[in-house]
Amino acid sequence: MRSRPAATRSLAALAFGVWLGWHGSALAQPAAPTHEIPQSLRIEHQETIERLTLLTHHAGAVGAEARKALTLFRAHIAREEAFILPPLTLLPELADGTVTPDMKWALAMCDRVKSEREQIFQEHTQITDAMNALAAAARTAHDKVAQEFAEAAVGDSLNDVELLEPMVLVIGEYLRTKLPAGQ
Amino acid sequence: MQVHRSIVTLAWLLAAAGGAMLPVAISPAAAAGDPAAGKQVFETACSICHSPQQGHNMVGPSLFGVVGRKSASVDGYNYSPAFKTLGVTWDEATLDKYLAGPRAMVPGTKMTYGGLKDDTKRANLIAYLATLK
Repeated sequence: MRSRPAATRSLAALAFGVWLGWHGSALAQPAAPTHEIPQSLRIEHQETIERLTLLTHHAGAVGAEARKALTLFRAHIAREEAFILPPLTLLPELADGTVTPDMKWALAMCDRVKSEREQIFQEHTQITDAMNALAAAARTAHDKVAQEFAEAAVGDSLNDVELLEPMVLVIGEYLRTKLPAGQ
Repeated sequence: MQVHRSIVTLAWLLAAAGGAMLPVAISPAAAAGDPAAGKQVFETACSICHSPQQGHNMVGPSLFGVVGRKSASVDGYNYSPAFKTLGVTWDEATLDKYLAGPRAMVPGTKMTYGGLKDDTKRANLIAYLATLK
């Protein structure tokens, strides 16, 4: 049996090692989003990336266009998960009439969406261009899977422009009117 | 200019011969455009969102009969508020301006397309769109 001081030192060393490992790996990774996004959108994003990744392995122009599109989608999804979509997690509570001071975190994100709205729109135009290119390659190659992906992706893009992004702006305005002054 | 007048005259004659006594205005842009080349442009730049078939709306409205119709007038398509109040007729000039920079001409449009900057491609595309009737 080890002495108590030795055991304490071992525990301290172990704890430090765990801390170092934890923080070391955290530092090595890109900053994780600070807030969650709705689970339905998380699943949608995962499926989009998985389907597009599969298309990158298709032969010829389809694979080449899919690889270009994957880079675009990854960047766009990262921005969406960082600050565009998290405020939407508040919707169920807001719909129930609940507004609490701890929802204040969403205001900065809503403001950022408002200020970067045109830039976000331009990202959607790049996605449309990429899906046009993918669909054109798919038609030539008679690749129905790639064609269907491209058509679905532009629909998702319109969904963002028509619904999700305006909804985030409305959430921001709503919170401002409902949160107590100074919050 | 002489060529343009000749084309307009020819259009008048063709319209009259067909029994239609309305003038058919053909702009220099459309007259200069190549519909076959324009179809290629359509397929690589537009067809992911727009159908050339009548009554087939996709993410964007059907472009059948687009030349000569009023903006935001396709049945069964829900336009953006910006489009609902636009109030233009799609002719070669308005299409040329819109296709060159959709967001510049119609701020608030939900058409996520940056624009067709190449003048020749735009003229070809408009010439193709004019055939969709």
